[in-house]
Amino acid sequence: MHIQLTINKKLYDLQLKGHETLLEVLRDQLSLTGTKSACQESECGTCTVIINGKAVLSCISLAANLDGAEIRTIEGLADGDVLHPVQKAFVEQGSVQCGFCIPGMIMSATALLEKNPTPTQTEVEYALDGNICRCAGYPKIFDAVHAAGKEMKEQQG
Amino acid sequence: MKTKMTQEYVDPVGKSVPRIDGRGIVTGQTKYAFDVSFPNMLVGKMLRSPHAHAKIISIDTSKAEALPGVKAVITARDTHLIKFGSNEYFFPHTVDQMALEVDKVRYIGDEIGAVAAVDEETANEALKLIDVQYEILPAVFDIEEAIKPTAPMIHDSLNNLAVILPVNFGNPERVMKEADYVREDKFWCPVAHPAPLEPHVCVGQWETFANKITLWSSSQAPFKCREALAKTLKMDLNDVRVIKMAVGGGFGGKLEMLPMDFAACLLSKKSGGLPVKICYTREEEFIASRRKHGMIYKIKTGVKKDGTILAITGEVLADGGAYCSYGPTVLAASMMRIFMVYKIQHFRMSGYRIYTNNPISGAMRGFGGVQSGFAVESHMDMIANDLGMDPIEFRLKNITTPNMVTVNKMLLTTNGLRECIEKAKDASGWDKKRGQQKNICRGIGIGIAADVMGSKMYKSHESAGAIVKVEEDGSVYLFTGAADTGQGSNTALSQIAAQELGVSYSRIKCKSGDTEITPFDTGSFASRVTFISGNAALLGGRDAKLQILEIVAKEHNLNIADLDIKAEKVIFRKDGKVLMSFDKALELCYSFNYGKQIIGRGSYNPKTTPIDFRTGEGNVSGSYGFEAQIAEVEVNKETGEVKVLDIWDAHDIGKAINPQSVESQIEGSLAMGLGYTFYEDMKFKNGRVLNANFANYRVARSIGLPKMHTILIETNDPEGPFGAKGMGEASLLPTSAAIANAVEDAIGVRIKDLPITPDKIIKALKEKQAQTTAKA
Repeated sequence: MHIQLTINKKLYDLQLKGHETLLEVLRDQLSLTGTKSACQESECGTCTVIINGKAVLSCISLAANLDGAEIRTIEGLADGDVLHPVQKAFVEQGSVQCGFCIPGMIMSATALLEKNPTPTQTEVEYALDGNICRCAGYPKIFDAVHAAGKEMKEQQG
Repeated sequence: MKTKMTQEYVDPVGKSVPRIDGRGIVTGQTKYAFDVSFPNMLVGKMLRSPHAHAKIISIDTSKAEALPGVKAVITARDTHLIKFGSNEYFFPHTVDQMALEVDKVRYIGDEIGAVAAVDEETANEALKLIDVQYEILPAVFDIEEAIKPTAPMIHDSLNNLAVILPVNFGNPERVMKEADYVREDKFWCPVAHPAPLEPHVCVGQWETFANKITLWSSSQAPFKCREALAKTLKMDLNDVRVIKMAVGGGFGGKLEMLPMDFAACLLSKKSGGLPVKICYTREEEFIASRRKHGMIYKIKTGVKKDGTILAITGEVLADGGAYCSYGPTVLAASMMRIFMVYKIQHFRMSGYRIYTNNPISGAMRGFGGVQSGFAVESHMDMIANDLGMDPIEFRLKNITTPNMVTVNKMLLTTNGLRECIEKAKDASGWDKKRGQQKNICRGIGIGIAADVMGSKMYKSHESAGAIVKVEEDGSVYLFTGAADTGQGSNTALSQIAAQELGVSYSRIKCKSGDTEITPFDTGSFASRVTFISGNAALLGGRDAKLQILEIVAKEHNLNIADLDIKAEKVIFRKDGKVLMSFDKALELCYSFNYGKQIIGRGSYNPKTTPIDFRTGEGNVSGSYGFEAQIAEVEVNKETGEVKVLDIWDAHDIGKAINPQSVESQIEGSLAMGLGYTFYEDMKFKNGRVLNANFANYRVARSIGLPKMHTILIETNDPEGPFGAKGMGEASLLPTSAAIANAVEDAIGVRIKDLPITPDKIIKALKEKQAQTTAKA
């Protein structure tokens, strides 16, 4: 079957067998390996991408159902050489340890902040609860989300 | 000279410079072994035993081989039948695992073969077509059952005792009789799993004509992996290249070559040299990697009325599972950390590591210390309570001091334990809270710990090497064998090399853990990297600096001993006057007349003495780190729920090379410690893991974490690079005990078997109620 996906503002015509997950399409067909995966059964949040503005697990999203969708992955956040405020905050706040959860974590955080750049601590915790960081760098991840929200709000004016 | 060679991050040691790999990670550009891909790459899958204990009668692979798309199938027939293990230097008899088992399988998941095919579907189909005939043997899963003479024998070890370790000093039996008070306790320390987010994954390629093997791996110890591959494949060390990619967490689980690494290489050979990728599923990761040893920890202590510890005896029974792995040294470490913490003259403890038909136990962050931390620190608290002493006062009376030699000949030089305890006590408001909040079910508890900075576990030496190569334009490479598995060692080591070379951190790029191009390093374990690999990086930086200064001195007719490089400038040592910039000095080195390549090298082996494993004597580490932790909890007596409100962690880290990274390591340890205290608990039934997924094996998530307060104590260790010690594990050791001790302070009940669950709290409260009623 044939579908169209807009991924990081680029339109892709994709030929599918039908059973591919979005994760497989991203990593295997399009070599967008920034999106990681750690369980393939929707329990860890590592594979989170943004579909039509919402943070979604790509490991359980059937690509065939997404015809016409707009998808953003970790590769699509930076503007040229300039890091997205969330990415920048994750570097500056020292939120990165092994980094394997970070693409998914950043996508969840971005989806939250685009709707609500000034979340409460509880709102941050709930938004990221689906994303496991086994290094458990949560305190510095929280710092980054708050810092990024501030910058995004300033940018919006 | 270059835009990136700014004055930013000059004198980087002690500053929270950004991670060297930060921008790569947050943009998804950083490549993990999980991301490695090549044209014509095959998918490999392991053939595993469905039985906990069985004889292999026959394996017929013909149908699998005939399946279209299958490129290679291997079994033990294709191997040299060489065993591998992780403690071969000190415990050669524990080298007990085959890359592919030949006669017997010993746990559900044991590897007996592997296939490589064009895709995953075909590989999985091929596994189903392999016909294995087993003769099922009786199996044993409980450690106390496994040591009975009637238990089935799993290896050739009598009573399934793989390792027996005695630790013996003084005359504890005699001294115990002189004690005013003796207390004896038994604890259960459950089985946790490292569960790194990136599962074990590798790509193996065997260039058959060139006779060269490359393994792209997620290893924590690439040189150790190379050694085991070369041994089992009968190759020279320089035939095998292990390239550690960015690693998505290890936590001890990725310290060893696994059969999958071996299989990827051999499948590649058999398929004519095609690259073969094997990636564990989450279920395989839980079943067939390495887990924390479950332990029964028995301890008995005799004290004087004033709280002075006189003697300790005890016994540790560890569930080793099917093979030995790092078991012997984990067992040793579960008994011997106590000497770093408490002054003890009379001590006898015996450790038993017991084979069972459960999955393999091995290294996990904390390395035996999490189990002993829970048992010993809970026990000490109970003694203090029984004596009517404040638990902190009790500890201060018995702790080790700076510049002391322990009874087992450990040399503790800098020792910030007292300061850790006092700072944590003050920060937490201990005096106002301890024993004062029972009416609101709040309590506060302490645990203390100490840890090594490396230990010689599998080789006679524990050296680390570094190369600091300064390019013509003044940019610098640090080559280190150390394996950054996410803790940030590439960043810390780059800071150290830059500081010693006298340049900005922004000049440095770091290549780590590639056995073909970086110097040797034993790997990321035992909190050793900052201390040992850091010293190597420092020496490498110093050597490069001296090479530059040699040219400068020659050109200007100066004495090299009068010169130094600091903060991007060549200066005179005596008055700090600037002679020239670093860039000018480099121009000179690479000028027409000199053409001198600057390649600094460093090699460091810590000053230690080997442990005599018949007694436990030996100075295992070149330095020791110390730690005190206080937890405040609130318990709901109706539901049994325990909420940890705050944790204060004071840590003697020598010197924080990168304070932000140090804090992250502490915070991560605390969260992992919370997990072990409340929910990380692998469940088994007849050798089968019942919770081999993140839905049922819970780890810390973002909701409900306590406030974490980190207090860094800098004791400036004379042996450490810029005074630094290692860290990264110690903060995990006392967490469970600090919480259990706080629970007792809150509601007066004691939990001696982890995890602390609402059920256990309710049950303990009911028992306490029944006792009170009976007394009345």
